[in-house]
Amino acid sequence: MSKEVFNQISPSEFFYRNRDLAGFSNPTRSLYTAVREFVENGLDACDQQGILPDIHLYIKAVDPEKPDPKPYVLTVKDNGPGMDSNQIPLAFGTVLYGSKFGLKQARGMFGLGATMAILYGQITTNKPVTVSSSVDGKTLHKYEMMLDIQKNKPVIMKHTKEETNKKGLNVSITLDGDYSKAGSKIRDYVYQTSLITPYATITFDDPKGEKFQYKRIVDTMPPAPTIIRPHPHGVDVETIRRMIADTHYQVPVLDNAMIDKVKKELGLSKKSLNFEGIMARAEKKWSSLSRPVRVIVSVMSFLNMDFDKIMKIRLEDIDLVHKRLTYYDFGDSKLVTVDMPKSSSYYKQLANTVQGDSLVTFLTKRFQRIGQATAIKFSEFANLKAEKRIGSFTNEELVQLSDSLQKYEDFLTPDPSCLAPLGEEPLRKGMSQFFKPDFLEVYQRSASAYSGFPFVVEMGIAYGGNIPPGKMTVYRFANRIPLLYDEGSDVVLKVVNETDWNRYKVKNESPVVIVSHICSTRIPYKTVGKENVADREEIEKEIRLALQYLSRKLAAYMSKRGLAEIEKKRANLYLKYLPLIAQFSTELAGKNKEPDYKKVIKDLNNVQVEEQ
Amino acid sequence: MSKSKSNKAAKVATEKRDMLLDLLKLQGAQVYNDLDKGKFPQFSVPSRSVSNIVYDKKLRQYILGNAASLRSSRNMSQLRSFTQLMWLAFFANRLVHEKKSSTLRDVYYSSQAFEVEFEDQPESDNIIVDLEAVLARPREDFHIFPEERSSIFGDLTIEYTVPGYEGKRTNLSNHPDGYLIGPSLSSAELVDTSAELVIAIEKGGLFTRFIEEKVDKKFKAIIVDTAGQAPRATRYLLKRLHEQMKLPVVILTDGDVYGEHIAMVIKSGSANAAHLRELTVPDAKWMGVWASDIDKFKLPTIPMTESDIKRIYDLQKDPRYQEGIWKTELEIFLKIKRKAELEAFSKYGLTNITDKYLPQKLELSKSL
Repeated sequence: MSKEVFNQISPSEFFYRNRDLAGFSNPTRSLYTAVREFVENGLDACDQQGILPDIHLYIKAVDPEKPDPKPYVLTVKDNGPGMDSNQIPLAFGTVLYGSKFGLKQARGMFGLGATMAILYGQITTNKPVTVSSSVDGKTLHKYEMMLDIQKNKPVIMKHTKEETNKKGLNVSITLDGDYSKAGSKIRDYVYQTSLITPYATITFDDPKGEKFQYKRIVDTMPPAPTIIRPHPHGVDVETIRRMIADTHYQVPVLDNAMIDKVKKELGLSKKSLNFEGIMARAEKKWSSLSRPVRVIVSVMSFLNMDFDKIMKIRLEDIDLVHKRLTYYDFGDSKLVTVDMPKSSSYYKQLANTVQGDSLVTFLTKRFQRIGQATAIKFSEFANLKAEKRIGSFTNEELVQLSDSLQKYEDFLTPDPSCLAPLGEEPLRKGMSQFFKPDFLEVYQRSASAYSGFPFVVEMGIAYGGNIPPGKMTVYRFANRIPLLYDEGSDVVLKVVNETDWNRYKVKNESPVVIVSHICSTRIPYKTVGKENVADREEIEKEIRLALQYLSRKLAAYMSKRGLAEIEKKRANLYLKYLPLIAQFSTELAGKNKEPDYKKVIKDLNNVQVEEQ
Repeated sequence: MSKSKSNKAAKVATEKRDMLLDLLKLQGAQVYNDLDKGKFPQFSVPSRSVSNIVYDKKLRQYILGNAASLRSSRNMSQLRSFTQLMWLAFFANRLVHEKKSSTLRDVYYSSQAFEVEFEDQPESDNIIVDLEAVLARPREDFHIFPEERSSIFGDLTIEYTVPGYEGKRTNLSNHPDGYLIGPSLSSAELVDTSAELVIAIEKGGLFTRFIEEKVDKKFKAIIVDTAGQAPRATRYLLKRLHEQMKLPVVILTDGDVYGEHIAMVIKSGSANAAHLRELTVPDAKWMGVWASDIDKFKLPTIPMTESDIKRIYDLQKDPRYQEGIWKTELEIFLKIKRKAELEAFSKYGLTNITDKYLPQKLELSKSL
């Protein structure tokens, strides 16, 4: 009988094996994805600190003579808050280390992408990543490091300190890329990112020596999004489980630090006592003990263990429903379960700590826009006891809670304060600068929600000016990220295509640009590629309403423009024909000098007013 | 005697020319002054729409009513045609001054030298008619001629007035193919003739036959080939032959509704030229081929087409077809629904038309 071998793999290795999912499938795509990840990290870092971003992107071929695909050095420099020196190795040298776990709008989800890019670069070129950071604008920490993929650990090769006068972060990696194929996509990305981030200066030095520069257009940052509690419609069972887990006091980890803490609070740092002695000392000092220490003492009391013994176990589960406590004994290498007598005073201490809040408290404290009254009404609806502590919920009850949260319809709509749309003015100024249009209108809808996720749609429409005639251009953005490809089934394009443009006096070849920006705590992407937004009914409706508003404005302008064009044509006609009439009449009348017809032309403006 | 007649005629022609030039100058000055005063020039053009064409029983021709439209250079949709009209007046003025002639097609191309563009020739033709209406003068007066030319033959002495030929005389029986009725002939003075009548005939083939058969001598006639619908220069010449030389005019056409109308236009003008008055010969007589001749002379016939019949119904609404042979012949055409051409007489020999038919008709014309 063959034995199957189970190997644990590290997150780094897992991501490396599944790099396609993260957008690192080939040199073309990888170069583009890496650019996105670093640029978006830089922008997010600045946004969070309210710093007007200056992002500089450089891509340079290691050996320009070589044919693509070939190694490129990709460098992104920002003027953000930088990163604490001691965090850098973990942040850039491990996978799944991130700070973006709150519920608010941000460009990237968890900050995994940057590490993936580093990982990809290392795999393809075996070159280290260089990260320079300054948080104070005085000292610059420079790390050169590689990832230990198996151990998911950074390997620092070099760490130096320099003086600097600028805050910010500078990340540089070497990776296999194909700029000849990815170039246009990257340029589009930089262009469109600048359009939706008019408060940023973004530059791009491409490998062919071309420089693209998009200067800051507005000096005001849109208000930063705030982290908010989830809406009940937007959570699933797993999320609730996680929320419950971190609501009540966690099962403590019995490590050296914790034991030292307990000893210290009991005044036993230098003195060793037996089990009874410890319990007696604890009872005496109970009121001054901290909560974690009380929990440890309670556990010790149930298990009849002193410090030496308790150091050799790991707590597995505290099951209040069945009043059982389970631990793993390292010495015997087995799981042991003991009953907890309810009569013990320690049981109550443990129960209160582990069971956590009552359902009502849990709902009002951990969800947005649920008050006491709503929470009680909901409890009735869910057929759960309002006062029941959530830590004591059985699995069935948890599912019941989660289902009811989805079904209950009397919750208020999600709080949009966690969203950060660009705002009408910055969008207007950005579009105005980019397209120098003859007509421009922007519109931000008020917040709406789908499935418990708030979202806001803002749109702009521009006509004429620097916009070349031809097919109507639609720039799509989600959370300030340009969506460049896979537009086929995107909800924005669906709405645009379904619009009868003739009604709005827009012809096929009209020079029209539409900018659409959807902000949400969760964008419902249709595909893993995150390039197109699914046609959720609520989102489609908001886009349609926004577009209708803009189209009506455009139509009004087009009518006016039509009139103006006629006026212009008229003026041109006069300028063309009146001199001829003057010439002919001069000869007919037998005069030598032409009549002073210029007076008539001067009066043209009056005529126009008169005839309108 | 002929000399003094000629002088008088020359004087009339010169006067007429000067009047035209004055008229052009007047129009030009009006536009000039408007512009000089900072006003948008405009002038009124007699309306040529169907509703403004009325039949004048006294004049026995169609004339334009009083309706006129204002053509203003201020109106954007009229600015272009206003300019075109001004250019044409300017161009006509030059033609008359320099005694040069031009054709409709020529005008169309000449315009391009002055940045006045015409979309196509019909557009320039239309502006020419506008100018005719404004000046109440036919285009031939300002030396613009159509392409089609009709011919004349017979004992008529003329004296040219065109540059280089002034005072030179020609007798129109000198050349057996006849003479083209072109600008120089149209502007020539009619000096002398021994003829006693004018025979206008619709077709060139029969015109040649008439010359060969010496119709001019046998019947003391001037023969005119109208080449279908008579051009204005031809109609004007017929009028002058009738008025100045006191010659009666008889008309021979095909025996169909179109032929009948060719005769009618010579006699009393067309609706198209309702803005012009000096082109009609009200005393001209249509002598055939009548519908009644078809049966009478046993002529071979062709069935009428639908458009022939429709044309009959149209003409029956025309006030000029409400009486006399004009009315009765139309009715017969409608009844027999057949038509006969002038050549039909050849069935009875090539000279049958000149030997038999013509004498009978000429005789009959005296009694009408």
